[in-house]
Amino acid sequence: MSKRGTTPNRFLPPKESSLFKELLSLYETKQLKKGLKTADQILKKYPEHGETLCMKGLVLVHMGRREEGIELVRKGIRMDLASHIVWHVFGLIQKGEKKYEDALKSYTQALRFDKIGQENMNLLRDVAQLQTQLRLYDGLVETRYMLLRLRPTARQNWIALAVAYHLSGNLAEAKKVLVEYEKTLKNVPHYDVEHSEMLLYHVRVLEELEQHSEALALLDVSAKDRAIVDKTAIMEVRARLLSKLKSDEAEHAWKVLVEHNPECYDYYKGYMSNQGLNIDENPAEALAILREFSTQFPKANVPRRLSLSLASGEEFQALAEPYVLSALKKGIPSLFVDVKSLYTDPAKLKSFEDIAESIRKDTSPDTSVASSSVSTEPTTYLWSLYFLAQHYSYLSQYAKALELLDLALAHTPTLPELYTCRARTLKRAGDFHGASRAMEDARLLDGQDRFLNTKSAKYRMRAGLIDEASALLGLFTKKDASSPGADLEEMQSLFYLLEEGDAHRRAGRLNLALKKYAAVQRVFDDYEDDQYDFHGYSLRKFTVNIYLNVLDWEDHLRSHPSYIKAALAASRIYVDIFDDPKLASGNVDGDATDAEKKAKKKAKKAQKEKEDAAKKAAAAAPTTSTNEDKGLDVPYKDDDPDGMKLLSTPEPLELAWKLLQPLTTLAQNNIEVLIAIYDVAIRRRKYLQAAQALARARALDSEYPDLHVRIVHARHFVSILPEPIPPPVGPIFIETLGKILSEDVSLETYNSQFLQNHPTSAQTILAAAQTSRVLGAPLQEVEDLIFTTLRDEVQLDVKTALEISSFLKKIKSSRVNELHQALDAKFTLSTAFKTPDELAKLREWVLTTNSNSSSERTGNGAAPMENEAELGKEAGESV
Amino acid sequence: MGPAVNARVSFSSLTPHNLGTLRKLNTVLFPISYSDRFYEDVLKPEVDEFCKLVYYNDIPVGTICCRIETKGDEFHLYLMTMGVLAVCELRYPFPEYNDSIPTKPYRSRGLGSQSLQQIIEAAKLLNKPKISKIYLHVQISNAEAKKFYEKHGFQEVGIHEKYYKKLVPRDAWIMELTIEQ
Repeated sequence: MSKRGTTPNRFLPPKESSLFKELLSLYETKQLKKGLKTADQILKKYPEHGETLCMKGLVLVHMGRREEGIELVRKGIRMDLASHIVWHVFGLIQKGEKKYEDALKSYTQALRFDKIGQENMNLLRDVAQLQTQLRLYDGLVETRYMLLRLRPTARQNWIALAVAYHLSGNLAEAKKVLVEYEKTLKNVPHYDVEHSEMLLYHVRVLEELEQHSEALALLDVSAKDRAIVDKTAIMEVRARLLSKLKSDEAEHAWKVLVEHNPECYDYYKGYMSNQGLNIDENPAEALAILREFSTQFPKANVPRRLSLSLASGEEFQALAEPYVLSALKKGIPSLFVDVKSLYTDPAKLKSFEDIAESIRKDTSPDTSVASSSVSTEPTTYLWSLYFLAQHYSYLSQYAKALELLDLALAHTPTLPELYTCRARTLKRAGDFHGASRAMEDARLLDGQDRFLNTKSAKYRMRAGLIDEASALLGLFTKKDASSPGADLEEMQSLFYLLEEGDAHRRAGRLNLALKKYAAVQRVFDDYEDDQYDFHGYSLRKFTVNIYLNVLDWEDHLRSHPSYIKAALAASRIYVDIFDDPKLASGNVDGDATDAEKKAKKKAKKAQKEKEDAAKKAAAAAPTTSTNEDKGLDVPYKDDDPDGMKLLSTPEPLELAWKLLQPLTTLAQNNIEVLIAIYDVAIRRRKYLQAAQALARARALDSEYPDLHVRIVHARHFVSILPEPIPPPVGPIFIETLGKILSEDVSLETYNSQFLQNHPTSAQTILAAAQTSRVLGAPLQEVEDLIFTTLRDEVQLDVKTALEISSFLKKIKSSRVNELHQALDAKFTLSTAFKTPDELAKLREWVLTTNSNSSSERTGNGAAPMENEAELGKEAGESV
Repeated sequence: MGPAVNARVSFSSLTPHNLGTLRKLNTVLFPISYSDRFYEDVLKPEVDEFCKLVYYNDIPVGTICCRIETKGDEFHLYLMTMGVLAVCELRYPFPEYNDSIPTKPYRSRGLGSQSLQQIIEAAKLLNKPKISKIYLHVQISNAEAKKFYEKHGFQEVGIHEKYYKKLVPRDAWIMELTIEQ
């Protein structure tokens, strides 16, 4: 400890000492302006007083003068290293910077110097929150214990300690604390929600300890005393506990729950598993029970739907018919989505097709006699067409689906679902432009429908019309936002960020793609930070049960599909940049159109104006000192609006790894993730990680085409290393690889065997070609192999064809155009392989308004109401 | 014949947002294209009760649009368009091409009657301005439509000769209904 930092330096005469106290209380009440003045008063006489310097710095940060403030705080610490106040202040600042580990260190330091004997409740509470955020549960128990000892009268300190024990895995201690706590309680009023939550938590702890009868006893007593007020929770926990105790009452308890809410799957499942019915093993008995429930609750959907999952054969047919018919009669748009999960069973799939086709026939106006047409609703026919269109679209029978939709649209052209289905079908068939136009048709029917708006914007992005998509999104975003995209990012719209990122990636604007993927990553960082306040709030409010669920959710946060998508897409780009650094310096605009370039220029200008304005505001700030509290959190500053810094990063692999690392534990069963991990690990020379990823991926699906490429890549990679990988890693790596692919097999042979095993799979051919390339095969040979995917017997879809196309581009093949021509001829519906000129025309076509809206026809002659006689004329012209 | 049991018929006001649906219906229903002015006028607050989308089982299948005209110190409601999907419209002769549509799905379900009745009731209830009569044109070849309006209390008050310039026959009946004060 430096000499300057010792206590004498902290001494202040009475006047200044009381000023300092005032400063502290002014800060507590966030009277920043006064606080600043008071601090200056002290500093005038004692300019080196560390604690005052820190407090002044803290106040300045709150006022938005961050850099200046932090400098003062640092100076203050140097002046008085043994003060708990300076460390506390520093901890606060670090917490604001989301540096939780550092903040915890500063707080620990502060606690060491707290002369009042570690009684600083605020410090301890903050420490507990940091420990929870960092999942340092053993430390958390200690902190919570200290807090309870300091103030045993505060109810929340007891609960907090129990929760800390619970989190650290010590349920027995958690129970003890709760029991002790309950002993201290006197005269708890009825219907006290906080007490009720605490008791439910106590029951939960007992249940997790598998002390079921004790849990049940506590639940029953508390329910009778009206101490637990959440009636649904009582019923649910009770039924569960009775089942676990194998009590005779359990059946009744579950039945009561079903009666309470006949639309809850869990209650039926609970009922059945209590009866010892394993749904997979005794479907007949389970079905009988569901039939009973169905009679008892004729309106309930769940028993009917659940029966569909369990039944098979004729019984299924008998159940499915009324299910489909009633949904089509009611006009339930989600019917297909509802039953789609049953399509994994081909027999059920066929049943649905037959049922819907027969309903379509029965209700079709062609067959039903005109007089009886009233008894069959026209809407039933319409919804059956819609269902069938979705059905065939799902089965990749696009032409049939489109025909049905044409029929339906002639019947009723005002149902948005028909257009959205048409759009989806065209999209699947590779016609991204027709799809976008169909989706816009749907949107035009109801401009107030944000779902349709979002969908249409998404489909425009799929067609490469990013600015035009943004214009649509802008109809619903905040008007004062700098751009629709900025507002959507602020609102954490993951769909938007991913779609726009993908659109930029497809257009070759990797910088902007990375920018959007990074924004997704930031959203998840925010989600993670957001839990911080709940570590205090939830315990204060006694909402412990749901809080524990939140913590669990946060621990699995990045297993979210959107995070995985962004992480995979970005890491693939980073790997590509690593392999070919020219990508980072090349044509970053990709194939941007003039309009896009213009828009970009405009955006740049707007950005600059914004920055200038911000600078001006910042410059003006010191003169206008206000009490406005800007908080301690670092405001997000975008110093890389074009993503050029991301693109030109000197360490792309490190950035990729940062994205993938959380997935090593959260997405272990995702083969795409494992392959991405391999790609990054092998390039970072993390051989064990790479081998582990391969082994795991192989266990999931040994024939996965992309995996095949990596297995060969790994062996090849080792064989061309100038020196063998040193032990202990090297031998382990070689051994693991050897288990995956015996060293005796030559890689060329292995590759051709793989190809022979699946000769009609386009994915396989692509993988084999990629593998040949890895092994250094000449370009022409690889190209020839790739072109075999065009053979009639090979199963090729648009998605794979696009992958094949980008592979050819990647290896700088001169035959890309040739491939595109062939693919364009093969996929007649698709627009994915048109020439740039054709695409430009298509993009224009997408944006023209359809004949159903007025633009083609308006303005030709007088308006009908101007002169009735003109009507006939107009009619004559347009008929 | 009325709508089938359980069928839901409802009306909704026109807004700038659902104009796309009205445009779509008009394109299919009438052999005429309407100007932007038409679509602006139907949004005016004073005709809110007289310009509606007609829903059948929650799907928009029809429209009815009127405007208020001043004749001296009287106010007349003029029925500009009324149509239900693929049902022969009553204002304009229904074109031949609709036969290619597989059906006339929403015909004979009382949608036209309900829509017209809705307008008549709203006209009776309107205080400012007070509507004295409702009138409209029917092409003289369309006896069925004439009968329909007569069923609802309309009377032929004259023939507007050469009302249509290019459609044959060119004459139109003028039908009106006096609103009892």
